[in-house]
Parts: sequence; structure tokens; C-alpha cells
Amino acid sequence: MLQFVFLIPLLAGIAVFFLPAKIGRPALFTTAVIHATFTALEWFKLTGPLQTKYFSNTPEGMLVLAILSFLFLFISLYTVFYMGEVEMSKEPVFNGSMLLFLSSMSMVAIADHIIVLWIAVEATTLMSAPLIFVHRSKESLEATWKYVLICSVGIALALLGCFFVIFSMEMSNVHVPISFTSLNAVASQLNPVWLKAGFIFILIGYGTKMGLAPMHTWLPDAHSEAPSPASALLSGALLNCAFLGIYRCHQLMFAAGLGGYSSNVLIAFGLASMLVSAVFILNQTDYKRMLAYSSIENMGIIAVGIGIGGLAAFGAMLHMIHHSLVKSSLFLSAGNILLGYGTKVIDKTGGMLRLFPKTGMTFFAGFVGISGFPPFGLFISELLIILGAIKAGRYVAISIFIFSLILIFAGASRLVMQMVFSERDNDSILVPEKWSRALPPILLLLTSLILVIWLPDSIYQTIQNAISSIGGTVNG
Amino acid sequence: MIHISNIFLALILLSVLLSLRSNRLMALVKLIAFQGIVVSAVPLVLDTAHGLTFKLIMFFFLLVLVKGVLIPGLMSIAVNKVVVSREIEPIIGYHASLFAGLIMIVVSVYITNNLYFASMGTSHKLLMVTAITTMGAGLILLMARRKAITQVIGYLIMENGIYLIGTALAKEVHTQYVVEFAVLLDLLVAVLVMGIVLNDINHTFDDVDTALLGQLKD
Repeated sequence: MLQFVFLIPLLAGIAVFFLPAKIGRPALFTTAVIHATFTALEWFKLTGPLQTKYFSNTPEGMLVLAILSFLFLFISLYTVFYMGEVEMSKEPVFNGSMLLFLSSMSMVAIADHIIVLWIAVEATTLMSAPLIFVHRSKESLEATWKYVLICSVGIALALLGCFFVIFSMEMSNVHVPISFTSLNAVASQLNPVWLKAGFIFILIGYGTKMGLAPMHTWLPDAHSEAPSPASALLSGALLNCAFLGIYRCHQLMFAAGLGGYSSNVLIAFGLASMLVSAVFILNQTDYKRMLAYSSIENMGIIAVGIGIGGLAAFGAMLHMIHHSLVKSSLFLSAGNILLGYGTKVIDKTGGMLRLFPKTGMTFFAGFVGISGFPPFGLFISELLIILGAIKAGRYVAISIFIFSLILIFAGASRLVMQMVFSERDNDSILVPEKWSRALPPILLLLTSLILVIWLPDSIYQTIQNAISSIGGTVNG
Repeated sequence: MIHISNIFLALILLSVLLSLRSNRLMALVKLIAFQGIVVSAVPLVLDTAHGLTFKLIMFFFLLVLVKGVLIPGLMSIAVNKVVVSREIEPIIGYHASLFAGLIMIVVSVYITNNLYFASMGTSHKLLMVTAITTMGAGLILLMARRKAITQVIGYLIMENGIYLIGTALAKEVHTQYVVEFAVLLDLLVAVLVMGIVLNDINHTFDDVDTALLGQLKD
């Protein structure tokens, strides 16, 4: 049953709320394993393709679900050991919210009905708010308030967009269930004006959640204030879910013959996000904020890739997979760094290679990966996007794209070099590193590496199925 | 003959304008309760041709329960807990906000006349005008006020506006009450989460002024 992927974490999450932390931590990992099992069953279609009134297993949804489930497995493992080191007054709330967050994101991945998708995206905001809020400091309060309010207003606008899409159906007297599958089938009959209006509102709404500029303002605050496992989940999984919402509408636009319009809008928002993050990353003083701006950049890259289409669409999907793996690894390393130094300020860190050799190496390798250098996967995906853009003749867009990439690399490399290689006078560290907390980020990075050398055929096929509806192909 | 739905829409517009003018937090909460109840009743009086079905009436009671009782109840608990009872020094003044609200009505009439080329009756047109004004006024309130509670109320007014637009545009939605129920549940939880954060802001800062929330920036 497809619905199990969100029902099981939902029930487990509610139970963990009322159980002591001792039971909550193992429950987190156990649920992750069960979730991964059900995702694998769906992935290999062992339960058969499913199409209900509200849910369906689409290739793009399965891709997002698989990434989510895989990440959660490692993040929950990390959380178990992380929690041993930090003081948290309400740990059951944190563990429970992690599971409820997993549940709502899984629901996004399999939702087919337009409004059910909306409900699930709004639920992700509400379930993740306690995760950001958990330290109850002044800063985390501010971050949570901004997050909840900006995202709720954004997503309310997406609801308006959904109503416009439904109205475009009524305008042309088409009456089908308002699920993406049935709408795609009748897309050519829909009223184009209202469909365009709907797409814009949905893009603004879910774009807020995805962190596209200029609606990204909540993202650096939320990512820097949340505890590191939550940041990793926010950046690696939540942003993909929001992207999925936009992608489903983009597919609908393509089916309605309005693909050119939605592509251009996506490219514009994507490039804006890349430029904004390039400007803000240059003088960053906080390493978690630096990673957050890098997430905005990468979401911009994905939007540009999907907008260009063809080969670039394949690159964008690949980018989504590798970004999730590398970025969550970086955030988990950042958690270790924060535990060790007790500060998020870059100037107060340094000498990581000597003080934290394992974490230092992982963090640096992750940085190499996120900047798009071989041997990590982001190199291939960015190359594919650039090639696809040149093939499509989008020279202006790709110039801005490459310019932003260079700027971001220049800005971030200075900061990371300082953190990893610079000398530090006092060797006083709060919590020494341990294999238990260093291993999950290493494994996530290794997965990205393995997927470069050997991309399993089922992943390759799923990506192709996911992008075929917007004219994306590998050979194009 | 004046259609009964027009009276309801006029009441909604009135509550919107009052909310832009009001500076007492408790009065705003009462307004949002009133507006919630009237907004819930709009589907009942709008399309009497189809008759009142049992489902429609049940859903009306559910809406009133959430929008008219539970959410305002939560908000009034929050207002009673905070130290301040008034909005002081709004970012945009009361007269200016009220004026902006009036302009919003004109704009929404313009939008409705130009974009709304459907073959629907005048009552639907008026509904669209009211809905767009409500949504716009909610946004104004959200941006023009400093107190966190007023911002939540702005969000709720905006949500009411979107609900009205949904009522005007999409009859299809009303056939699936499961979905509407879930939307309502989301709204309720949103207010609950906002209320909890609000309470903590009040504890930490001894105020609910969002101007105090300015630590995080680049």
C-alpha cells in the first residue's frame, strides 16, 4: 500500500510525542528502516502501480520519495548519537516532529490531487516549525516566526493558484477529478489564461518553500537556527518536495502546450536565485548560513535546468539527487563542527584538519562536491545543464549561470579554506569527534560518489520517465 | 429585491474595513470571529437554486466551529496572555490603511470587470469583489502592523479572502468535503503553531513586537 509511507511515520510520530526520549531515539531509526523498506517496495513496483483518488506513484514522486527515505535513514542514525551530546529540554517533541515531518514530506511525494498536494506542503511547514524552534533562543524564535509566517502566506497564494487551475477547467466545461493525472489527460482543453495565472501563483507559493529568490528570506534563518539534523532534512528533502509541487504544475503546462511560458518563468526565477546567493555568500560570517545560501543556489540551478529542458532536464534531476546527498552530508558535518567549537561564526573556527581530522576531511570533500568538482556528481549534472543550454541556444541564461557559479565558488572557497586549513591558537574544543557522528556524513558523500561511477539502471529509467513529459531526454 | 447574499457580502466588507481601522487587539479578534461566521455562511446563501443539502449544512457548522469559535478562541487566549493590548506605531497608519482598503475595493471592482468574463450572475461578481478586497486587506494588515498577533489576524483575513475566491471560482471543490476538511485542519494547526511561537515570543521579549525580531540578517 502506497499510503503506508506516510501513515507509518505519522503514527510513530504521534506515539513518540508521548514516550520518553530513551524509547524515542531507537523509534526514530526503526521507523526510518520501515519507511525505507516500504519505499523500496514501491520503487521496484512490488506492490504494483497504484492510482487512487488522491495518491499515485509517479516517477518524479518516487524519485523524491527515494531520496527522502535514503536521507532519513542516515539522518536518523546521526540524530540518535547527536542527541547524546546536546541538552534538549523537550527531546520527545523534537523526535516526534522529525517523524511527522517525514510523514508530511512522504505525503507530498505521492500526492496526486492538487489540493491534497497543497495540504501536504502546508503540513510540512507546520511539522518542521517545532524543529527550528526547539532551542527556544531569541534567534530561533525569530527564525521560526519568519519561517511559519512567510511560508504560510506563500502557500496560501499557492492555494489561490490551485483555485485558478480548477477554474480554468470550469471555464471550458471540462469536468474531471482535480488530480494531476486526470488534468494532464485533458490539459489541451483547459483555459490557457487561467492556467497561466494558476501556474504563476503556484510557482510563487511553492517557490517560497523551495527558496527561490526573492521569496527566499526565511531560508538562511531557518537553516542556521535549526539543530543540524533538522537543517540537513530541510535542505536535503524539504526543498525537493516543494520543487516537486512546481514540477507537477510545469508538466501540466507542458501538456496544455504552454511549456515555453512556464520554462521561461522558471529560468528567470532560477537565475535570480543563483545571483542572490552569489551576492550574499561572499561576505558570510556564519558557516550554516553559508550552506543555506548554497542551497538557494542549487535550487536555482535545478529550476534553470528544468526550464531549459532536453538534456538539461536530465541534469536537473541528477542535480537534485546529488545535491540532497552532498548538502545533507555538509549539514551533518556542520553539526559536528558546531558541537566541537560551540559557535557558528567562521572566524572562531579553524584548524579543523588537526582538531577534527575526520569531520574536517568530510566537510572539505563535501565542499569540493557542492562546488561542482569531479569526482562528485554535481560536476556531471552541472555539465549536462550547461551542454543542454548550449544545445537549446540559451546563451544569455547560461552566461549568467556560469558567472554565478564562479562567484559562489570564489566566495565559499575562501570561507571553507579558513575553516579547514587555517591555524588556530587554542586547542580547546567542547566535544571531541566520534566515529558514530562522523560516519553518516561520510556515507552520504560516498553514495554520491558511487552514483557517479555506477548509476543503477532503475534510477536512470525513473529519471527518464520523469522528464519525458516535459520533453527531456538524454540523447536530445 | 436585494438578494440575501449581498447583505452577507456587505457585512464582510464592513468587517474588513473595520479591521484596518482598529487598533485594539481584542476588537480585532472579535472581528475575525464575526467575519469567520459570515464567510462560512456565504456558500449557504449563494446558490439557493441547488437547495440546501445535508452535507452543505454539516460543513457550514464545521466551518463555523473552526473559523468562528476555535481559531478566535485560540487568538483571544493569546491576546489575554500578552502584555500589550494595543497596536502602537503601526508601520502604515490607520487612516492610510483604511484609505488603502477603499482603494483595494476600487481595484477589485476593476479586476472583476476586466478579468471575470464568465457567464455568472451579479451575485458572483460581487462575491469576487469582496473576496479580492478581503485578500488584499489581509495582506495590507500583514505588512503594515508590527505586533505578531495582528500579523496572524492579517493572515486569517487573507485566508478568508482566498476561501471566498475558491467559493466563487470553483464549485468543484465543494464536492469533496474530505479535502476541504483537511484544508481547514491545516489552517487550525497553523494558528495553533503560530500561537505557541507567539506565546514564546511574549515570554522571551515581554512583547509581541516583531521589530524586536531583527537579530538574523546578512
